[in-house]
Amino acid sequence: MSPMKEKKDVLQGTLALMVLKTLDVLGPLHGYAIARRIEQISGELLSVNQGTLYPVLLKLEQEGSIASEWGASENNRKARFYRLTRGGRKQLQAESRGWEQTAAIIGRFFVLKADDLK
Amino acid sequence: MRALRRFFKRLGSWARTHQDEERLQAEIEEHLAMQTSENLRAGLSPTEARRQAVLKFGGVEAIKEDYRAQKGLPFLETLAQDTRQTLRRLRKAPSFTITAVLTLALGIGATTSIFTLVHAVLLKSLPVANPAELYRLGKESRCCYTGGYSQDREFSLVSYDLYKFLRDNTKGFAELAAFPAPEPLFGVRRAGSSEAAQSYPGEFVSGNYFTMFDIRPYAGRMLTDTDDQASTPPVAVISYRLWQEKYGSDPSVVGSVFNLNDKPFTVVGITPPDFFGDSLRNSPPDFFLPLNTEPFVETDADLNKVDIHWLDLIGRIQPGANPASIEAEMRVELKQWLGSHWGEMSASDRAKFPSQTLYLTPGGAGISSMREQYEHWLLILMTVSGFVLLIVCANVANLMMVRGMERRRQISLSMALGAQAARVIRQPLTESILLSLFGGAAGLLIAFAATRLILHFAFPAFAGFASVPISASPSMPVLLFAFITSLVTGIAFGIAPAWMATRVDPIEALRGASRSTAGAGSLPRKTLVVLQAALSLVLLSASGLLTAALHNLENQNFGFEQDRRIVAKMNPRLAGYRTDQLSLLYRRIHDSIASIPGASSVALCLYAPLSGGAWGSGVWVDGHPPPGPKDDNSSLWDRVTAGYFDVMGTPIIKGRGISEQDTATSRNVAVINEAFARKFFGNEDPIGKRFGRKPGASREFEVVGVARDARYVTFSLGRPSGPFFFLPEAQAEYSQGNLGSLFLHDIVILTRPQVNLSIVQVRQAMASVDPNLPVISIRTLREQVATQFTQQRLIARLTSFFGILSLLLASIGLYGLTAYNAGRRVNEIGLRMALGANRGQVVALVLRGAFGLILFGLFIGLPLTFAAGRFLGSQLYGMNPYNPVTTLVAVLALGLSALAASLIPALRASSISPLEALRTE
Repeated sequence: MSPMKEKKDVLQGTLALMVLKTLDVLGPLHGYAIARRIEQISGELLSVNQGTLYPVLLKLEQEGSIASEWGASENNRKARFYRLTRGGRKQLQAESRGWEQTAAIIGRFFVLKADDLK
Repeated sequence: MRALRRFFKRLGSWARTHQDEERLQAEIEEHLAMQTSENLRAGLSPTEARRQAVLKFGGVEAIKEDYRAQKGLPFLETLAQDTRQTLRRLRKAPSFTITAVLTLALGIGATTSIFTLVHAVLLKSLPVANPAELYRLGKESRCCYTGGYSQDREFSLVSYDLYKFLRDNTKGFAELAAFPAPEPLFGVRRAGSSEAAQSYPGEFVSGNYFTMFDIRPYAGRMLTDTDDQASTPPVAVISYRLWQEKYGSDPSVVGSVFNLNDKPFTVVGITPPDFFGDSLRNSPPDFFLPLNTEPFVETDADLNKVDIHWLDLIGRIQPGANPASIEAEMRVELKQWLGSHWGEMSASDRAKFPSQTLYLTPGGAGISSMREQYEHWLLILMTVSGFVLLIVCANVANLMMVRGMERRRQISLSMALGAQAARVIRQPLTESILLSLFGGAAGLLIAFAATRLILHFAFPAFAGFASVPISASPSMPVLLFAFITSLVTGIAFGIAPAWMATRVDPIEALRGASRSTAGAGSLPRKTLVVLQAALSLVLLSASGLLTAALHNLENQNFGFEQDRRIVAKMNPRLAGYRTDQLSLLYRRIHDSIASIPGASSVALCLYAPLSGGAWGSGVWVDGHPPPGPKDDNSSLWDRVTAGYFDVMGTPIIKGRGISEQDTATSRNVAVINEAFARKFFGNEDPIGKRFGRKPGASREFEVVGVARDARYVTFSLGRPSGPFFFLPEAQAEYSQGNLGSLFLHDIVILTRPQVNLSIVQVRQAMASVDPNLPVISIRTLREQVATQFTQQRLIARLTSFFGILSLLLASIGLYGLTAYNAGRRVNEIGLRMALGANRGQVVALVLRGAFGLILFGLFIGLPLTFAAGRFLGSQLYGMNPYNPVTTLVAVLALGLSALAASLIPALRASSISPLEALRTE
């Protein structure tokens, strides 16, 4: 059961980053809008059950990166809106830097050819 | 930080589960509604739109589960669940629960009670501020006086002169305080009171003593440097205990005058309640007097003797100072001081000069003589109680396994239904930890009672004196110890049964037959019984050894008679007698007591046998070459009045005893014991030979008799008595002034046969001589001898108790296993009987199984008993630790109780009717 869990954790981590970035760009959104937005951006590449989003939202809220309150949606339904907090913004900056670094390093490994090591 | 915040949020949301569930439900509903409406816009039918939305959302229950896991504290939740369930299950099995909790309470209680003592005696610091800053002089504690300018191994006692030199020159100490190693008693009377003087322990302390310990007064003030000067009026500080118990917390005590040894002292303050001086000991001091009042109080003062070393030192180092460099500094100072007394040093002192050194050791526990005295036996008791705890664990583990067997079906069923192994293990583990926590709580009560009992026997309090400052009520470290012990115990006896519980095949549940489990789990239970047998064998033989050693000690030939002898203790110093008055006083005491109708004869001496003291000196024999600096020429001696040997019942082997014919004007004589004769005269006839106590004075005494060896000192009880000589009181050096050895302490009374001499009669006889002379105690010689073995008796009894307890537990364990196995073999036994086996064969079958285990236990236990004998070592007083008799007795005891434990199930098994047995299929 442990390898499954690890994969999910990685996914959750990236999902959290996507949530933060979405809220950073678009401002306060409800859960459905966040899910739609992530779908749009990632296209069909990322097939996630939309429901998976909610535990991530809860975790982020518990960590203080986002805050939520009840509001009204576009078609006047009661909806819970999530917004980025100051702490969340900092976290986003730190994590996107970290992400870029990791991506750059991995990128370098990929351009590396066998000849370069000789 | 973030993890912490999350934890608190989770803790919070765990508390309001319901509300959050609703919120999630609402969010999911809304999400689905939005997706559905979007799907509708895309042209799907309403049903299909909803279906697609739900599909896209994913498994709602799984997400809810995930959400819950994120939100609350699943660990805590299941823990609470498990606990609730376990409690319910324990309630349903009251006999199991009570047996397990009681067994555990015994084990944990015994261990905790011994730990209370270990903590108080071996681990605890003095109740003073920053005990880690305190350092004391010396690695070992010594008593009480040593003379000259050299000390063996280390310079650990100092004279007042040397103290001042060290105090004034060592910069690393913030304060360096001094106090005498001997613990004096003072005759105390409040001025103006009509009461007779009573004796209380007291202590002389340097003026900075309380500053050094940082002790604030309970009332009044503590002593200061100003008080500790020869010229200032004498003041004293009284203990809180005495102030409360004896003077009823009378506030006017502070400021009033008390006569200590008939010298007036003004009490200026009361020490705080928890302060008991500089060392943990029985009867801590009740009075603290400035060191400089010692010559004022004591007729034989040591303060101004440069070469009498009698002071212990404790100092508080400067913050940040390095004790090693202070030690180095003090070593140089010691050499400087010794060098400045080169002229007064003897040849042997000078020879030892290069090797003279001193050590500083951590002093937070004070002068820890008690620590040294009790360390070994506390260690023994701790080990023994640890063994008992192990046996207890094994027993409860056994019980748990039986329970586990009964639950196998249930467990295999839940595993078949997909329960995780971790969750299945957690339940029995929760049960065992819960049981042991209950056991621990009950054990605390047992520990409290047991500690009180042990303290009462180990440190008997003298009437009116403070008792040893050890509290039986559990302190924080003791509580912590009990808690951790319970937890560890719970895990220790729970882990194996819990693990075994999960070793089931889910298929079994479906098969539904309990027979398929036969044989499983039998090996661990057998191992436990073997372990128990081995451990109880060790404890039994250890207690056998200790009991036999105690028996040897108590019934040895003491060299004196115990029956019909009474010893009264007094101290003429406490009534302010001068030495020139003593001879007359002794005569009057002798005559007054001898005139009591029931008294047959009376003698006085410095110390009666086994009363806790003796004087020592060197011996120089006339006509023999003087001993070299490394030779041991020491002997102990006693000063006695005429007729002493007859009163004591010590046989004179050669020559005569001390008699009335030895007077101040006749030649100086001595009676020696056999060991003295062997050591100093070898094969020569000692009668008529001369010896002395100083070099160049070897003709001081003429030997007139040899007495049978008798036990005088309370140490080295395992070895033969050492050399000893007796001098007549009538020939004492009364002209020499304040010699301490002139003050006789003990009055030995031989009563007439069948006469009970009452204590009142003796007190009256003493009071008729001088009402101001306090009688410290009156008791029979038999009692006095018995008190010497209190410690040995206590440890032997405790070990025996633990030994029997462990035997009982092991028997119960064996009984349980045998009965269980026999029960499972009902079919087999029935079959055997049907095929012609008789009852005897069936009994033998069952017994064989049980005794196989016991034999295994012996096999493992025997080498351990020998190790235990070695570990007991000095506690055996010279007895052979590999005593075959005690080992044999222990083996027999184990065998007999094993027989008893297994015979019952064996007989029961043999009485099965074969028909019935086969029918129980």
